[in-house]
Amino acid sequence: MHIPDGYLSPSTCAGLAAAAAPFWYVALKRVKSVLHARLIPLISLFAAFSFVIMMFNLPLPGGTTGHGVGMGVASIVLGPWASILAISIALTIQAVFFGDGGITALGANCFNMAIVGSLVGYATYRLVAWRSGLRSARRVVAAGLAGYTAINVAALCAAIEFGIQPLLFHDASGTPLYAPYALRIAIPAMMLGHLTLAGLAELVISSGMVAYLQRTDPGLLRHTAPDAPPSIEPAQPAREAQDALRLPTARKLWLALAALLIFTPLGILAVGSAWGEWSAQDFSSPQARREIAAASHNQAPPSAAPRGLERLSSIWSAPLSRYAPSFIRSASFGYLVSAMVGVGLIIALALLLNWLLAGRPMVHAAAGGRRRRSFVEKTARGLLEATEQVLFAEDMAATSGFLQCLDPRVKLIGIGALIAAAVAVHRLWVLAAILALGVLLALVSHIPIRLLTARVWLAVLAFTGAIALPAIFLTPGAAVYRLPLLEWPVTQQGLRTAGFLILRAETAATLSMLLILSTLWTRLLRALRYFGAPVVVVAILGMTYRYMFLFLATACDMFESRESRIVGVLDPADRRRLAAASAGVLLGKTLQVSGEVHMAMQARGFRGEVRLLDELQMRPHDWLRLAAFVGAATLAVWLGR
Amino acid sequence: MTEPAVLAFDVREVSYRYNQVEALNSLSMHVKRGERVALLGANGSGKSTLLRLLAGLCFPEHGEISFLGESLTERRLQDEQFFFSFRRRVGLVFQNADVQLFSPSVFDELAFGPLQLRWPAPKIRERVDEVLRAMDIAHLQDRAPHRLSGGEKKRVALASVLVLDPEVLLLDEPSGALDPSSQARIVDFLVSCGNGSKTVITSTHDMDTLEDIADRCYVFANGRVAGEGAPLDILHNVELLERAKLIHPHAHAHARGNGAVQPHPHVHRHEGG
Repeated sequence: MHIPDGYLSPSTCAGLAAAAAPFWYVALKRVKSVLHARLIPLISLFAAFSFVIMMFNLPLPGGTTGHGVGMGVASIVLGPWASILAISIALTIQAVFFGDGGITALGANCFNMAIVGSLVGYATYRLVAWRSGLRSARRVVAAGLAGYTAINVAALCAAIEFGIQPLLFHDASGTPLYAPYALRIAIPAMMLGHLTLAGLAELVISSGMVAYLQRTDPGLLRHTAPDAPPSIEPAQPAREAQDALRLPTARKLWLALAALLIFTPLGILAVGSAWGEWSAQDFSSPQARREIAAASHNQAPPSAAPRGLERLSSIWSAPLSRYAPSFIRSASFGYLVSAMVGVGLIIALALLLNWLLAGRPMVHAAAGGRRRRSFVEKTARGLLEATEQVLFAEDMAATSGFLQCLDPRVKLIGIGALIAAAVAVHRLWVLAAILALGVLLALVSHIPIRLLTARVWLAVLAFTGAIALPAIFLTPGAAVYRLPLLEWPVTQQGLRTAGFLILRAETAATLSMLLILSTLWTRLLRALRYFGAPVVVVAILGMTYRYMFLFLATACDMFESRESRIVGVLDPADRRRLAAASAGVLLGKTLQVSGEVHMAMQARGFRGEVRLLDELQMRPHDWLRLAAFVGAATLAVWLGR
Repeated sequence: MTEPAVLAFDVREVSYRYNQVEALNSLSMHVKRGERVALLGANGSGKSTLLRLLAGLCFPEHGEISFLGESLTERRLQDEQFFFSFRRRVGLVFQNADVQLFSPSVFDELAFGPLQLRWPAPKIRERVDEVLRAMDIAHLQDRAPHRLSGGEKKRVALASVLVLDPEVLLLDEPSGALDPSSQARIVDFLVSCGNGSKTVITSTHDMDTLEDIADRCYVFANGRVAGEGAPLDILHNVELLERAKLIHPHAHAHARGNGAVQPHPHVHRHEGG
């Protein structure tokens, strides 16, 4: 769901950022007027929390795991406007430090997840919870639905943004310049993963955390529940809420979900992770790579939908043709059946490979054979890796290479301009030249190429490559080659569009990696301040980054200690409860620390108005370097028209 | 009017509840100007709550607190002038350094207070540099808080308050969970405050350093004052310390004449010295 650079055209990115701007403006205004000086630390810490939550592996039915975004919970606890800010900040830090979502696509990602997600989540919650008591089980269900709806509407927005790209942006030969799949492919492909896995993850996290708050600090739910009857009676109903997650309500929830899955014809499609949401780490494990390959091939069937049926049904009916009933080519039923069969084949293949490679993992868990990593272990490891990754970047930025010595403002604007150029150009060779410039900058800044290869190039290739691969066959155009046996045509336009997608993503990812590997965060914040970013935003960004480490460490400790105490295998419901409880504990800590941070700020004179010490001077040679960067970017755009 | 001005803080019958739980129960105490007072008590005895009340971060449900003869209320602190002068004169060092260090770097942390109080930029830079050197943390000034050790965090937290040069210093367990050398640094600092120029209120349950850092102690138990007196008198009052759960009876059995215990080094002195 985090859209990387190069998937959306510059005009789409600009349009969505412009659409997001008034929401940010209103959100900032409201946060300032409500003030509630307490909101500033609360938003910062909530953003840090949401960031850490996005790293949790949530166990889902069917033995898979998914990640939540946390916009449901954020809008319930903070209200829609503060939630817009908190999630936007979390997304920014993700994009900058972890390459999760592109820099140019940040506006789009914020629009989908932070703005649409928060508003939809909040509306759903208010509507479903209606006037129920603060501790009623209905609020737990409402929260679950809010999270589920929010992430799905956000995914739909992203799908539409992807889907309009080939329509609007293609060159003379009909080669799509950005995301290559039309709406009829993009929407089902995105929605299938989100209606099932990602949606469930969000549901688990939202309902679990509201249930936790009902138990521990229901006052926090009051803010977004003005109509709830005042609760005088303490303690006793808390149990009720606790049980609500388990018994009848939980069952109702799962039943509702089961219904959704049935109405989603290809619910079983998602094998492992949500489409379009693989993390860089996933690519190092062969298991995940297979899942991605599987999911991307599966993405072909939806493309067969209404009109493009002829060509695609031939793909799917190819292995079946001898047995295919005659109606298989005629109706959407044929599409369904062939898709199901395709999915079934891929799942079977994945299971077979898993069995071959992992050596019957599930059976011999106790016998010292290769153990399947539990979600607890996976999460702990992920958190640890994230921390190490950021610490490494900080170390790198403290060395003295070419980029490291540049003024942060020069870097911010210069590299930003190059990324924008990479997204804007329409010629492959110009793109390649920008990438080469990036490599050159890495060399003179002593940034190890091996690191770029592993963390950027291979990761992006695996991810974007998997998405681009089907486009080679699906993009209409002149066939240059046909696959033996299957007879799938490889089109010239398909090759070019795949080339664009991969090169753009690689170039943008390389450049943003250079920025973060060569700039200390504190300097970057100062640079932002210099460019007129609102003080509140800069202060919140700084605080989010600072507490991200605290929460990463807390969560890591928590999962490690859990791991050491777990004996045997937990059943799925227990695992979900454990994950939601861990998130709840972290939320409790977030709120407690945020209250204390606010006091600590007050104790030193904070009254709600943030003040920063700005001290950066641009020297003549800084201007010169800035001109060189911007000149290179302009040249690239001109050459690549 | 001369009498109240001698008192830095006068706390009269203050009660405070935190999430329905009684934290302070009709508690009275006072601190003179220039005095060093230690608040002794087990975890959850209300020390931290009292310090927050004294710092004007929360306000009592019943009772009254006055600072230099002036009543300290939420209303009063709304007044910008009083707010700034009070914040300038009273500094609180939190027990958890992680909540106090919220800025991106050590330098920014020290500059935070002066910035809020609207000092001019050159004066801020000068004062921050001075405190960085005085606290021996100048080499850390560009360090991010997550890159500091526990002892460094405590020193930076202390420095971030000292930068305003407050008359009254409120310290919540300043030497808790530190290694001996970091602890000694903090204690040395507190000892150096003994010339009467600063009022220092320290909450602690570390009794080894008590007489070095305090002229007078209050012992807290269950949100009330269980005892008050000079450090040595308090340390000798075993019954009081046991009641306040500051010592555990069997650990001190030999102090009451049980000779069957093996000789062992004492962490703190029971006999006056």
